[in-house]
Amino acid sequence: MKLVVAIVKPFKLDEVKEALREIGVTGLTTTDVEGFGRQRGHTEVYRGAEYQVDFVPKVKVEVLADDDQVDGIVDAITKAARTGKIGDGKIWVAPVEQVIRIRTGEMGPDAL
Amino acid sequence: MTERPAPVARLLAEIRALDRAYSPGHHGRWSSSRRAGIVVRCLRELFRQQAPPPDVALAAVGGFGRGELAPRSDVDLLILHTGGRAQEVGRLAESLLYPLWDAGLTIGHAVRTPRECLAVAAERLDAATALLDATVVAGAGRLLASVRSELLRRLREDPGRFAEQLREDGERRRERYGSVSALLEPDLKEGAGGLRDLHSLGWLAEVAVPGEDRDPSMSAGGGRLVSLVRVGLLRDVERGRIEEAEEFLVRVRSALHLETGRPTNRLHLDQQPSLARVMGFEDEPGLPAVDGLMRAVFVHARQVEQVVGGVFDRYLRDSSDAALVEPTAEGVLAAFAGVARRAGVMSAATLDRIERVELPAPVAWTDGLRESFLEILRAGDEGARALETLDRMGLLERLLPEWAPVRCRPQRDPYHRHTVDVHLLRTASGVAQLLAGRDGGDPLAREAARLIRDPDGLLLGALLHDIGKTGRGGHVAVGAEVAARALERMGVPEPTRDLAVFLVAEHLLLSDTATRRDLGDDDLVLDVAARVGDPERLAALYLLTLADAGATGPLAWTPWRATLVRELVAKVQRVLERGEMGTETAERLTERAEALRALLANEDPAEVDGFLLRMPRSYFLTLPVERIASHFALLKTAVGSTEVRTQSGPGARGGTHELTVVAADRPGLLSWIAGALSLAGLSILTAQVFTTEDGTALDVFEVEGLFEPEIGEDRWREFRSALRKAIEGRISLEHRVADKRRHYPSPRATVPVRVDVHNDVSDFFTVVEVGAPDRIGLLFDITRTFADLHLDVHLAKVATYGARVVDAFYIRDELGRKVEAQDQIREIERALRERLEA
Repeated sequence: MKLVVAIVKPFKLDEVKEALREIGVTGLTTTDVEGFGRQRGHTEVYRGAEYQVDFVPKVKVEVLADDDQVDGIVDAITKAARTGKIGDGKIWVAPVEQVIRIRTGEMGPDAL
Repeated sequence: MTERPAPVARLLAEIRALDRAYSPGHHGRWSSSRRAGIVVRCLRELFRQQAPPPDVALAAVGGFGRGELAPRSDVDLLILHTGGRAQEVGRLAESLLYPLWDAGLTIGHAVRTPRECLAVAAERLDAATALLDATVVAGAGRLLASVRSELLRRLREDPGRFAEQLREDGERRRERYGSVSALLEPDLKEGAGGLRDLHSLGWLAEVAVPGEDRDPSMSAGGGRLVSLVRVGLLRDVERGRIEEAEEFLVRVRSALHLETGRPTNRLHLDQQPSLARVMGFEDEPGLPAVDGLMRAVFVHARQVEQVVGGVFDRYLRDSSDAALVEPTAEGVLAAFAGVARRAGVMSAATLDRIERVELPAPVAWTDGLRESFLEILRAGDEGARALETLDRMGLLERLLPEWAPVRCRPQRDPYHRHTVDVHLLRTASGVAQLLAGRDGGDPLAREAARLIRDPDGLLLGALLHDIGKTGRGGHVAVGAEVAARALERMGVPEPTRDLAVFLVAEHLLLSDTATRRDLGDDDLVLDVAARVGDPERLAALYLLTLADAGATGPLAWTPWRATLVRELVAKVQRVLERGEMGTETAERLTERAEALRALLANEDPAEVDGFLLRMPRSYFLTLPVERIASHFALLKTAVGSTEVRTQSGPGARGGTHELTVVAADRPGLLSWIAGALSLAGLSILTAQVFTTEDGTALDVFEVEGLFEPEIGEDRWREFRSALRKAIEGRISLEHRVADKRRHYPSPRATVPVRVDVHNDVSDFFTVVEVGAPDRIGLLFDITRTFADLHLDVHLAKVATYGARVVDAFYIRDELGRKVEAQDQIREIERALRERLEA
């Protein structure tokens, strides 16, 4: 089992959700996050008032998946979240030792 | 299992009978006092059966002591003794408690001497109040009487301090449990506006209104409230309102106990449907039964909050300035405006006087009425409090009948913590605070507040922004209509009214756009700017967005959301400042869209709308509508990857031609078009380059023949063929243009080459201005240089003035960024100069 984590632009969330739904992903978790990658913070100006934006707002999407689903999920997210411009985000995949569905106590792939 | 003692068996039978006597939704105060009576009788009999020692008393404390017992509440007992004989007292306690425990009742008990009672009461407020409510069940009543009178003597030494303690306890409970008048899962007992608040009035009465002390064998009942009325701390109409509230809250709490079988006081979402049913609520249009239940809970809890707060205010703060109130609507509102302005407390006498004024429903607005109303709004928190008082007295609805559907209306979403009307009042007072410069360190808010010339429009917009939450239809559209009607009836002058209605209609624009749309899209920012129109409205919208979020709940305004909204506001502000968009431009854009729709009336309206959305705003603003209409067909179907579509016609001047080229956009496309035009013997006089949302280039050129004015179809074909070959990589335009150029003389060197790079013209593009002597293939050279440097030309304006050409190119790098690094800017300048001076 794997945990697919994607950091995407906020306005791309709906498209990512839709793309994942289309390939049969039934559950995901999203979080509003802030951070920076190569796209650093910047200074914003409104009528002469300057303020520093250190972190760029993004959305984190997490999907638990069986190993054979991972490629499809990564592909779907990449396509849906891509604008080709800076700050499109990142995806990483991490191994997951155990998954338990709290309601039923099911474990492993059954709990996905 | 052993046989139950007879008193306990009877108790169980009586309780079962009581539970069955009413439906679960109708166990009010009478049922609760009957329940307490049943338990008291059982305890009394058990006590007597034990033949207890003479100096022991069994007392009921807390709610049980007041003669109230909800179905699953604890039965709180106090065994008072004079000390010594510990074993005997312990046995007595066991023999009383065990049978009741076995019968399934939850008993709380303490065994204390009078001295111990007083010591605990001195330490803990809840112990003191439990004792204030205590009544004797059986045994030596004088023991309890002496404890109580000593406790009262001590508390009455400083009744103000006791009142403060009660009030602080209320504040602590509010912080911990929230408010019953707003939370979707309120705690009916401990929450602010709940039963505990009502009880606190009884305790205050007992301590603050010395009179005949209660016979401790009788429960404290409504008599406490009567004594508060007698001394003018509680108004008689208020007593009626909170007694109704108590009856209702007791019923809901009892129903909750009966439905869940547990002593829970929190009205969980899960239980609301079944409670609504047993309480007799039914679905109404625009208000489901559960919301009806919650609205009733809120209505009653709100009365409790208001009345309890008022009583403590009158007791602890000076409210002696009973003002004269002119017995008209204007007089009433002026009185409230005065109190809000002074941050004062309205005395009971003034409120009584106001309540006696007979007002028509709805009240007809006058200038004076409106001025007082606005004054109340401007007063921020104090104003919101005045409006709350008006609401509790039923006056707000007479002024604003539109208020009725949002009053006490629950909001079931993860963000909102308050009912619609409370949210509206809080938003309005939040805006007043921001206008007064209390911005919590938000630099944008401070600047925005300075821009506001019409604070009343902003305050009214804030007060009404969710007035469309009536349970029917989209709340924004409904709200704008309702607000326009209300403001017109109020006689609010037009510019102020327009601002307020605009704010109601657009109050979600900033936060929705910022979180759901691409802020790197210049057309999006232009569209928002077009909808907003001018910087003051943008500022007002930002302040409303801030106050709205602040009044919603802690989840609504996170740094995450704030960053996005501010980015949008800053970008829109710059677009408005530069005049790229504004009220007039927005109007022009709308007019053009309308004209275009008329010209394309025979086409599918959905397709026309799609076309309007896909094309950049600058396109609609620069080209004539007829030309744009002719492009519709050109772009109707998707453009293939190497496909080239053209359309030509006569140009603006004699001997010139207009040419439109459509092709899939790609890096270098513009240079190929320019090169192919040169190869076909066409000289470019002007060029306007646009890119659609979906990546199609639409370029409009004014060209003339290099050698002959007539240009036949074969020449256009020659151009299309050269361009297609260049796109496919089959020919190199570079050497072909150079070849062609070799046969003609170089331009005169009197016109210098000028290259200027600007980054302050646009938030989205770097603008490169190039001035150079005209020559064959000039545009090709410039755009070729951009292609070499991987720069994308999004928009270009090319104009020829005699021998001189001045071009402006809106460019971005391949990652969609502006070019801001100094070395890269220098590279662009050098490369262009090198090429154009060669």
